[in-house]
Amino acid sequence: MLRFLIARLSTIGVTLLVVSGAIFVVTEILPGDVAQMMLKKEATEERLAALRAELNLDRPAHVRYLSWIGGVVRGDFGDSYVQKRPISEIVPRRIAHSLVLALFALVLGVPVAVAAGVWAGVRPDTLWDRVVSTVGLVGISLPEFVTGVMLMLVLASTLHWLPPSSHILAGTTPWTRPEILVMPALTLMGVLFAYIMRMTRANVMEVMQTPYVRTAVLKGLPMRRVILRHVLPNAMLPTITIIATNFGWMLGGLIIVENVFSYPGLGQLLLRSIQTRDVPLLEALSLLIAATYAFSNLVADLAYTALNPRIRYA
Amino acid sequence: MGALALVVQRIANALRLVLRTPSGRIGLPILLVHFILATIGPWLAPYSATEFQQPLVETQLQPPSWEFLFGTDQFGRDILSRVMSGATTLIAVSVSGAALGIALGAAIGMSSGYRGGRIDEIVMRVMDGLMSFPSLLLALLVMAMLGNRPAPIEALQSNWQNILIVITIGVVTLPRVARVIRSVTLSLKTLEFVQSARLRGEGSAYIIFREILPNTLPVLGVEASVRLSYAILTISSLGFLGLGVQPPSPDWGLMLAQSRQFLGHAPWVAMAPAGAIASLVVGVNLVSDGVKQASGLPQEATT
Amino acid sequence: MSQHALDGAPLLEVKDLAVAFHTPRGTFRAIRNASLTVHRGELVGLVGESGCGKSTLAFAVMGYLPDTADVGGSLRFEGNEISKMSDAELCELRGNRIAMVYQDPATSLTPTMRVGAQIQEVLREHLRMDAERARERTVELFESVRLADPAAVGMRFPHELSGGQQQRVVIAMALACDPDLLIMDEPTTGLDVTTEATILDLVADLKTRVNAGILYVSHNLGVIARVADRVSVMYAGQTIEEADVRDLFKNPRHPYTAGLLSCVPKPLGASGAVTKLSAIPGSVYPAGEGDVEACLFADRCPSVQDACREQAPPMALTDVGSSSRCLFWAGVRPGMWGADEEREEALPTNGAEPVLTAKSIRRFYGSWKRKYLFFGPRVQPPVRAVTDVDFTVGRGRTLGIVGESGSGKTTVARAVVGLVPLTGGENQLHGEALARNVDDRTRGQQAAMRMVFQNPTASLNPKMPVRHAILRSLKKFTSLNSRERRERAVELMEAVGLSADYLSRRPGELSGGQQQRVALAGAFAGSADVIVADEAVSALDVSVQAQVLNLLKAHQREEGVSYIFISHDLAVVRYVSDDILVLYAGHVAECGPADSVLAAPSHPYTEALLSAAPVPDPDAEPTRIRLEGAVPTLREAFKGCFFAGRCPRKIGSVCDEKPPPARTGPGSAEHVIYCHIPVDELAEMQQPGADPVDATSASSR
Repeated sequence: MLRFLIARLSTIGVTLLVVSGAIFVVTEILPGDVAQMMLKKEATEERLAALRAELNLDRPAHVRYLSWIGGVVRGDFGDSYVQKRPISEIVPRRIAHSLVLALFALVLGVPVAVAAGVWAGVRPDTLWDRVVSTVGLVGISLPEFVTGVMLMLVLASTLHWLPPSSHILAGTTPWTRPEILVMPALTLMGVLFAYIMRMTRANVMEVMQTPYVRTAVLKGLPMRRVILRHVLPNAMLPTITIIATNFGWMLGGLIIVENVFSYPGLGQLLLRSIQTRDVPLLEALSLLIAATYAFSNLVADLAYTALNPRIRYA
Repeated sequence: MGALALVVQRIANALRLVLRTPSGRIGLPILLVHFILATIGPWLAPYSATEFQQPLVETQLQPPSWEFLFGTDQFGRDILSRVMSGATTLIAVSVSGAALGIALGAAIGMSSGYRGGRIDEIVMRVMDGLMSFPSLLLALLVMAMLGNRPAPIEALQSNWQNILIVITIGVVTLPRVARVIRSVTLSLKTLEFVQSARLRGEGSAYIIFREILPNTLPVLGVEASVRLSYAILTISSLGFLGLGVQPPSPDWGLMLAQSRQFLGHAPWVAMAPAGAIASLVVGVNLVSDGVKQASGLPQEATT
Repeated sequence: MSQHALDGAPLLEVKDLAVAFHTPRGTFRAIRNASLTVHRGELVGLVGESGCGKSTLAFAVMGYLPDTADVGGSLRFEGNEISKMSDAELCELRGNRIAMVYQDPATSLTPTMRVGAQIQEVLREHLRMDAERARERTVELFESVRLADPAAVGMRFPHELSGGQQQRVVIAMALACDPDLLIMDEPTTGLDVTTEATILDLVADLKTRVNAGILYVSHNLGVIARVADRVSVMYAGQTIEEADVRDLFKNPRHPYTAGLLSCVPKPLGASGAVTKLSAIPGSVYPAGEGDVEACLFADRCPSVQDACREQAPPMALTDVGSSSRCLFWAGVRPGMWGADEEREEALPTNGAEPVLTAKSIRRFYGSWKRKYLFFGPRVQPPVRAVTDVDFTVGRGRTLGIVGESGSGKTTVARAVVGLVPLTGGENQLHGEALARNVDDRTRGQQAAMRMVFQNPTASLNPKMPVRHAILRSLKKFTSLNSRERRERAVELMEAVGLSADYLSRRPGELSGGQQQRVALAGAFAGSADVIVADEAVSALDVSVQAQVLNLLKAHQREEGVSYIFISHDLAVVRYVSDDILVLYAGHVAECGPADSVLAAPSHPYTEALLSAAPVPDPDAEPTRIRLEGAVPTLREAFKGCFFAGRCPRKIGSVCDEKPPPARTGPGSAEHVIYCHIPVDELAEMQQPGADPVDATSASSR
């Protein structure tokens, strides 16, 4: 177990180092002159030079990378160009907002998706299976912005049940008006539900074909027990990995969903940082997302290991 | 020439098998319509996709009618014509991007898996690194940072953003394909016919391309369709965020983004592009399910 | 046969059963016409080759067939029709009144549940026991199937048990509710011969202990001879003969049964002669074909008459009281498939010029692992698959290598041909050192050493036509032009008994036996000096196995090629080998000329292997030596004898402390036994009638 953890953590470390390098290359070395972009028409030679000095852009790239990564290790992500204040002050509130949304979708979506998938996988080719499969297929086919806009059209513009925009007023939290969470969470859930449901169904169908399930049936156990004790634990093992992969994928979905509904989370901040060329903020957010992704996979691996008696790391 | 005929025949056989599955029977015709529209749509369209109808006041945001089947947008442009013309770039870019990623991913996956050892270890770590980044975020970064810069070669300038998208899709597709193909290769290479080939003194290249590759084709077929659907989703999402394919080609994602302003009084502006994207991806996914069923692979979708 | 069997209604009565599966690719008639009965207290063997429908019959009895199955005829348990039962009735029957033991115990137990819990749930479901009582009963059951440490086994997960232990758990599970009918579907297939012997002992013991009827399905005639009271033989979905076990083996009344019996390599008789194997030509009537009004065996039968093709023969009562689905059963004789002619001996080349020599070859897998990945103490050494093995293969001779799984046989084979590089030692071909990796060997060396693998289906690229591998071999190893290569390929195919039109087919269209013959044609293509056959006939049915063995022998006589023949099946190794090497845990236990190795005195391990092999003769004396457990995974060098942990004849601490000396056998200077016991003492111990050893007390568990 210890060996396994060390192996995984060192892999994550190396991965994040590589990712941070890549982010740095894409954001700082390639894009031309940040100072030029920030000043736009007001750019005079003097002001450009001053700004470059202020942003340390006049130093060589590798020095800037090392000082950036050094800061990251100490928890200092630098200052936002646009908001002129430390990134570590801006980001936490946004993380909290996105987390609320993501957890909301996960907690509501995953159990339903797993239940629907199991139900369909146990009895393939029944009417219920067909319905669930069709919903799943449409679900994975609709991009978040299509689902989002359609929900908006129906629930907000036509029925007026929910507010069309999910912005949060200054000084309040998402819980001040929890109804604003409904549409973004539903949208996020759409893809998540479809994906996990399809996977669960496929895994259950596969496990149903195994000799040990046959053994369980031929022991004369009632179907309910066969499914709960013999099928589910084995079908859930690969599903756990899928859920973790999806968590990372959901981070991508957040960018879209938060922009569709103007919800002030990480995704919206990220897109804004791209639009305003707020490079330090963009770097910090990208690294944060990569790290979340990597660690959610680690958690999945650990859960897999804990639940699978066949794997015991020496 | 004979080889080409063989390839065509193989593809025809594969399509016939896919058509025999229920999903394939529905999905293939949907895809076919989209591909036809992508090739000849711009010529079939009743109006220009980009020109504003005159006079603007009378033609903007018209509901669907016999004159404008899907209605008009805020500039009085015919939505049907715009949707019909939007497929061309989207499909061309996503197909090329997915193809690039699949070709490179398959080549890397097969050689790395067959080679094994330390090289394989390093290659797979790099692939893991590439995958630890949500595709959409990577695409956004590339487009935002490189999209508005001049192309390194003058001749590419006219298609620069599209080329960037193709490369980005290729890069996000590559590691996922490589991982799948590598695991197939790992199990194939322990099989006796590959060992036999080694005992005959065949070289690695021969073994990879003549002995292993033909046996990965069903998996590659499934991968191709799954990756294509992800490519379309990613590219249209980019469009929605305003960083998609190059204007003046209409972009379904962008059309949908702009429609939000008039959602209350002109919902048709949103309906047509939403339907177009949805039907395209549903078609690809149906075909993908069909390929899975036809090839007898487990139903488990790939990640 | 017990008294119950003779009177009263049968427990299970299968009459004219037919099962067809409707699939998109057509209808498959898995069972065309099967009838059999099982009475309380008797064990009925159901024997047949793969695809004959015997497993389908077993699952039909459990009422467990897919929805696509179409069932005709009748299938009664205590007079009640099984195919008409509701799900609830079936649940009540399964695991309670009728229980089953499966072919592959490793996949038949739920991997995420402790084995004790898997048995307790049966007890609680059917017998309504409370948790405490169920736990006690589980321990009793584990005791009754002779699992060591019955109290602790229940807390283990399936993967923590050896194959033999897993199968004992499955048997215990089947016995949980004292079933009336026990169905055993190939319960020892896939287990090592030593484990198989212990499980068969258990089955033989169960027969006398439990008051149930047992239906025992197997493809192995030796196993059936060991355990069955009565036997039904199936062919192409039909039961074709049904007889008392002695009659079946002594007086078969169906040509197919007689053929099967003459396909099996016999144990060395008193005369010391080995009879040539007969082979049944052709292959089984395919399940995809429709029913015909003819005998389904007609095309392969040596004494076929016109009448056989004009009507479907009914089951007829024969002179010995058995029934046979043959119109001319009276003409069936054990020798009808060819006289018991003596096997033609290979060139008498004792002391022949050595072709291939292995000198202290070693192969370790993996590398040292450290406690904290890259640093810290070294915690886990590599696995020692093969340690210091020496052997020589003479020109035109066959070296047989035997041992249980995990003994290192396959690693030796792969190291010799260069598929896995050696960790130490050297292989020499004609006295010249061979590179460790096949890619670094010369074209001539590659041509000189070919290999035939166990799994015929995987030996040919499924996406390439059959000719592909043969033509590539010819291109690499001969100087023929492309037209000549095509002609030579046709000759090679004909040499292995296949017509030229098979060359353009896909491997998937061929049967297992045909695929293996194509693989042989490929191996013969380059006029090799040594052909390594790794379990080359193990995956084949007995009738087909005989065809392939005879082909190998014929090729050796004509070309003077040498073989390294690896098998777990002693009878087969004995049939083909001139010399034998017995491997245990990567070490040589014994080697020498075949006759000397297989006769007493033997290494205790060889003795155990010989003792465990099932003999297709119901009157064979039950054997005495049993090994429990499995070959250990070696990470450390042995301090003492490699076999000390399981040796039934261990003499004391010397076995644990000193490596065994090499002792020369009495008959031949080339016969070497690695054992602390002197050869003459071994000979005395192994005399027929000597005191049997108590294997269980001496074994490791």
